[in-house]
This record gives sequence, C-alpha cells and structure tokens, in this order.
Amino acid sequence: MRIVIPVIAFAAVSSVPLFATSYYLYLAELAMINVVVALGLNLLCGNGGLISLCNGSFMAAGAYGTALLTSEAGLSGLAALPAATLLTSLLGAILGYPARRLSGLYLALVTLGFLELVQIAIEEYPDITGGIRGLKVARPAILGLSLQSETALYLLVAALTAFAIFAAWNIQKSRFGRALDALRQSPFAARSLGIPVARMKPFAFALNAAFAGCAGGLFAMVTGFIDPTEFGVLESLKHITFIVVGGLGSVAGSVLGAALFTALPEFLRGTNEYSELVYGLILLGTLLFFPRGLAGLWERLPALPLQRAASKEPVHGAS
Amino acid sequence: MSWQILSQLGISGLSIGSIYALVGLALVLPYKASGAVNFAQGEIVTFGAYMGLVLTGLGLPYLAAVPLVLLIAAAAGALIERFLIRPIMAGPEFTLVITTFAIGIVIKALIRLHWQDNTFTLDAPFIAPPFKLGALRLNPAYLVFVASMTGISAGLSLFLAYTKFGKAMRATALDPIAARLMGIKPARVLSSAWGLAAALGALVGLLLGPVIGVNPEMGHLILKGLVAAVIGGFSSLGGAVAGGILLGLLETYAGAFWGATFKNLVPFAVLILILLARPEGLAGPASARRV
Amino acid sequence: MVLLETEGLSINFGGVAALADVSISVQPGEIHGVIGPNGAGKTSFINAVTGFVKADQGCIRFDGADVTGLAASSLSAGGLGRTFQHAELFGECTLLENVLTGFYRHQRYGLLAAVAGFGKAARIERQTRKQAAGLLAQFGLADLAQHRASDLPFGLQKRADMARALAAKPRLLLLDEPVAGMSEGEADETAASIKQLARELDITLVVVEHNMRILMSLATTVTVLAQGRVLARGRPDVIRANPEVIRTYLGEDA
Repeated sequence: MRIVIPVIAFAAVSSVPLFATSYYLYLAELAMINVVVALGLNLLCGNGGLISLCNGSFMAAGAYGTALLTSEAGLSGLAALPAATLLTSLLGAILGYPARRLSGLYLALVTLGFLELVQIAIEEYPDITGGIRGLKVARPAILGLSLQSETALYLLVAALTAFAIFAAWNIQKSRFGRALDALRQSPFAARSLGIPVARMKPFAFALNAAFAGCAGGLFAMVTGFIDPTEFGVLESLKHITFIVVGGLGSVAGSVLGAALFTALPEFLRGTNEYSELVYGLILLGTLLFFPRGLAGLWERLPALPLQRAASKEPVHGAS
Repeated sequence: MSWQILSQLGISGLSIGSIYALVGLALVLPYKASGAVNFAQGEIVTFGAYMGLVLTGLGLPYLAAVPLVLLIAAAAGALIERFLIRPIMAGPEFTLVITTFAIGIVIKALIRLHWQDNTFTLDAPFIAPPFKLGALRLNPAYLVFVASMTGISAGLSLFLAYTKFGKAMRATALDPIAARLMGIKPARVLSSAWGLAAALGALVGLLLGPVIGVNPEMGHLILKGLVAAVIGGFSSLGGAVAGGILLGLLETYAGAFWGATFKNLVPFAVLILILLARPEGLAGPASARRV
Repeated sequence: MVLLETEGLSINFGGVAALADVSISVQPGEIHGVIGPNGAGKTSFINAVTGFVKADQGCIRFDGADVTGLAASSLSAGGLGRTFQHAELFGECTLLENVLTGFYRHQRYGLLAAVAGFGKAARIERQTRKQAAGLLAQFGLADLAQHRASDLPFGLQKRADMARALAAKPRLLLLDEPVAGMSEGEADETAASIKQLARELDITLVVVEHNMRILMSLATTVTVLAQGRVLARGRPDVIRANPEVIRTYLGEDA
C-alpha cells in the first residue's frame, strides 16, 4: 500500500501534459515548485521549530545560481541545478552557523536582516544579477535535450518534486528528523542525549536552503525570468503560510498547503486586490483556530471507534 | 568636512533617529509586557497616518485629529492584544511571531484595498520652510520629531516610575505571578501596554506622514525600529531610544560619507553584528553563564 | 579508580553561593546518593556536573579526564547522562519516539543514507526500534509505546525519561529527583526498577534526591549537601545516624 499510492500519484501527475493546456501545465509546475519549498521549510520550522523569514533569499540564490551557472559558466542544466542547490545549501549553513546560539525572536531577526542584505546585494550588482529589473533566463539543456519541450520541463519538475517528497519523508523518519523534533521540543533533553544542538541549526538551515535552492533553480527554468522583488519578506511569509495551513511538521501538509496556495491566486483572478487580504486572513485564521493546520484536522478526523482501538487516548489518572 | 556640515548632518540624524526611537519604544513595550514582538507595528504606523488623512479629510484640523487617532489606535491595539494575541501566547513562539506578521498583512491589505498604492498629502502645522539658527538650517519637522521623542521618553519614564499603573506594568513585566498576587490584573496591564504601543506607532505615522507622504509602504519603518530595539537589548526602553538615535546618526553619516548603498546597509549590518556578537544589546546585562 | 569526581566546585548566582567548595567522588558501579533539603544545591550540582551550567570555581573529572566547562552534548557523548526532575520528555512525540531519540549518537548513518531510506539506515532503524521497545518494556511502559508523551501522568513520564536516558548508553547516569512528585507506592516501584537497573547493567548511578527514605534504600554511598556545602559523606547507615544530618532534616520526611 505504501508503494502503490505514491506510484499512482506520480503516474497521474506525469500524465497531465497529455491533456492539459500550456497554462495549466505552468500552474502545475509552480505548484510542484512550491511543494519543494514547503518541504524544506517545514523541516526547519515545523520539525526544528526555528523561525526563518528569509526563505525567499534561498530561493533567489538557487534561481540566480542556476541562471548564472548556465549562462556565464556554460554549465549544462544538468550540472547547474545541483551545483546551485549545493551552493545555496552552503549559504544556509553560513547563515546558520553564526546564529547557532540564537533562537526564537533573535533568530527571526537575524534571518530578516539576512534577507534585507541579500536584497541589497542583488540590487547592488546589476551587472551580475540584472538588478531590480530582473534577469532573463534561457531554458537550459538537460542531457542534450533542449527543454524547449514543455513536456520535458514538466517531467523534470515532477521528477524532482517526487524526489523531494521522498527525501523529506525519509529525513523526517530518520534520526535527523528526530533530532530536529528534539531541538524544537526540549533543547535541554536533546543536549543531555548527546544531540549537538548548536550544530543542528546550521544543519537545519542548510537542509532548508537546499530545498529552496533547488526550487529556485526550477523556478528560473520554468518562468524564464527572475524578478528580485519576488523573493522578499512577503514571499517568505507566503512560504510560511504553505506550511502553517498545510500543517507544521507534516510532509503531506507541505504538499497540501503548497498546492492549495498555488491554486488560490488563480481562483481569485478577477479580484486581484483581495488576494493579499485573503492570504492574511487565512494565515491569521489558521494560526488562531487551527494551529495544527490541515494535517492536524486530518489527524483528528478518525471517528471514535477508531480512536478507542488505537490507544491514543490519555491514560486515566493523568496528572 | 566643516563643523557646519557635520552638525547639519547630526541634526538630520538625530531627528530621523527620534522616529526610529519611537518605533523602537513601540516594539519594546509589548515585548516587555507579553514577551511578543509586534511585527505588525509598521502597519500600525501606516494605519495612524491614514487615520490622520481620514479625519483631516473630514474637516478636522491636524492638531485636533491627533488625539483622536491616538485613541483609536490605542483601542485597536488593546483589542488586538485581547483577541488575537492573548489566546495564543501560551503556544510556540513561531505561532506568535507569524501571527503578528499576519495581522500586519491584513491591515496593509485593507489599506491598499481602499486607497490603492497612491501617495497622499497630509497637512500638518509643522510643515513649514526651514529657518536659520546661526549657521544651521533647521527644518521645523525635525524639531517636532526630536521634541516628540524627548517628551514621550520623559513622560514614559515618569509614568512607569511614579504612577500606580506604571509601577503595575513594571511589576508584571518582572514577575507576572507575584504581580498577580499583589492584586494587579495582568490582563489590564497587557492590554494597556499594547494599546500604548499602538498609540505610539500611530503617532509616528502622524508625524512622518506629512513629511514623506502617506502611502502603504510606510510600514517598512519597522525594520529600523527593530534595529533600534535590538541595540537596546530589546528589554530596555531607554536602550531602544538610545538605539534609535544611534541608528539615525550612523545612517546619516554613512550616507553622507559613503553613499546611498552604505546608508541602506547600515541598519542590517548593525542588526546582524549585534545579534551575533552581543545579543543582549549594548545596554543589556552581560550574558548568562549558559554553556 | 574514580569514575566521576568534583573538586572544590563552586557556583555563585548574584552573590548567593548555590554551591560552595563541593568535592564528591564516585566509584564505578556505585549507587551514589546525593541528598539534601530543598535549596541545598542539588540542582546546581547536577547542572554543573552535566554541563548545563558553568561552575565559577573548581574542577570536574570524568574517568580521569578533566571535563570542566565542557558542554552538555559533549559530556553525553563521553558517557555521562542525566534525567530531569520534570522529565523533559518530547511532549508531542510518542514514548517510543522519545526513547528512539536517545539512540541518536549510536545510530551511525549519515544524511545520504537517511535520504535514501533503504539499506543501511533502514537496517539500523529496525535494530534500534527493537532495542527501544525493549527499554520501554523494562520500565513497564511497553503498552504505552504509541502514546503521546504529554498525555501521560507524571510518574510514567519520569520512568520514560529514564528509559530514554539509558538509550544513550551512558556509563554514569545522574538521576535528578527520580521519585519527586510520586506517591509512596510509585516511589517504591521506581526505586526497585532503579536497583534492578544497577544490577543488570554495567552502569554507575548518582541519585540526587531529597526523599531520605527512598534514597537510603537505594544508595551504597551517600553525600549530604546542605546550603551548598558537603555536610557529611559515607555509608547510608552511618549517615542516617549522624546528628547533624538529622538536625538538618528536622521537619523533612526521614
């Protein structure tokens, strides 16, 4: 059963190019890219409990990195994307390392400062980054095949997204996922068990940055254009919305939240001005009333009979 | 560099620093009271400016509009605290931080819905041509900024030190349980702290609006306020004021000597430096012994 | 050959001496009790020895090596573990997950193996899962393995905390008030588990408690702390008869 569902899902997703128009293909690609972003952010914030307001910067790094490695360094798409991902991951570690003793609010502020610095850097070097006017990205070739074919690009995005889901799921289940959960719930206990709390922060940031960087690279390929204003605080907050509404610490939640919020602006097409308001209200509403997000609601769904069977009820005599 | 230019720059720096100081104060107050930073504070500044716009648009003179706006903002701040912040205060810090951001998003979106991205003019009595004082040219708005900052800082210190309610606030910030045992209602203190902070923010909007124009992006100011608060260690009101002034001066001098890019870099460079090197700020106590 | 020793350990908090010149010596295989009334410095002692608080003066030696000032995670890696007075479990995780987390350092697979999911990582995870279940069973918690830690009553949480601490395979385990907050029956049960533990495993225990009765039944050696200083040390029966100790405890349960 474990294998069947993902296979069916992947087959379904992969068959989309057969009948969808170019526009819906594009939308699906954006949704998948957002899924990758959400997966990485959820590991950092949902599992690790760290507050990051600079996710947009990591995505930007991946986007610019991929674009520049292909155009300036002449790397093929196949090499540029992983290289950019790795470099972005390094950037994450570089941010996380000096901030390793900070937590909560102060960490959030450092990430905010980092984001602003990156924005300034982007605008300061227009020769490299295209500055505020953005950067045009040529579709790179992968394995000699030019990605001019819509289908090829779509399948690439789908394959990488599938891999990202697979990776995030496995990381969460592994000792690293548990260490992140420990970091969030009780850093004291974590330290007493030999978990290197100070080292986990750069690790978590590097992990998050890798996902965001990969997503950024794909984004550059899909949209063909990098607009630096799309990687600021508001974007970073939107990423956070994916995981808050989807469910912190849940892989399924990341997928749900990202897909939902990619589709949302499309439904609000005619009412463009309202989109920000709706975002804000959904985020606020979720935080106040459904802090565990959609995934949390799902967990509470199983009706009473099932609950009694699975011994999830509190033991009597709870203090 | 002549003394004249240096002093001129100093006045500039001091006055914009006064604004930063006020925003910093507005951030530290609720933090001291409930341990939450209000990331919507920038939008409250914007809100104050637009409220001023509305009231003066209805025919009220600026000086009459000011106290009204402050009252509205204070009420709004208290309501936000009571219904949006207090329910989630016991939860993870992540939720609290993002909630205030979300509130900000909603406020800004509402403003933009009604007024779009246009910049409006807000008339105020201190918008007048600069006058000469000796060799210096003084902008009356600058004087108002500095005067407001000084007056409010002094007023706030006196309030916290000598009035019953002010002492109640300090007690609650230090030890909420003990304060409760003394009969102080923490709920009242919390609402008041947030109300006061909102009023401060709105005041900044009313002061700044006439000078730079009223538009939805005014909220960006919060970043400067955050830096000011961090310089002061985020727990010291006096530190936030000093931090704001320091930031204003640093920015202005950096901009004059090294250009616009450096001017933009200063706040974030300072922020990161302090957070990494001395998170307790320049005013706070030395780090605890934690290993 | 001393396993753990402190020499002249002192900690000051703003003028108050939480610990003053505390010298303790723990032999391998012992159950070393550290007892004292509230405020005697027991918590500071544990925090200092396990690397959560830096001492102002004095030194700490573990297995011959100077470990003064080392951070908690390093000390744990070296074989020094602890439990917490308030259990400090990972509340949102199940008991099994809590104990599994304890095996962190012993699960030797890297990130790439983890991402792959199958192979080395999966194998190690399967093994550890069995060991974790075994540990829970030892503490009578097998049936509660899938329960959320925060749903459980305090007494069971403390037992789970011990199971988790043991997962890290410490050579010396400091128990922070293991029976605090328990009923008499529960306390006796827990004490019995602890004794069994010491018998079956190759482990040294330092039990910090203020419940005199339980501690005396457990410990092979006792150090008495009062007001941050060592008041007396020696065999339980000798300590029990010590008039100064009795006087310090007047009013406490004896």
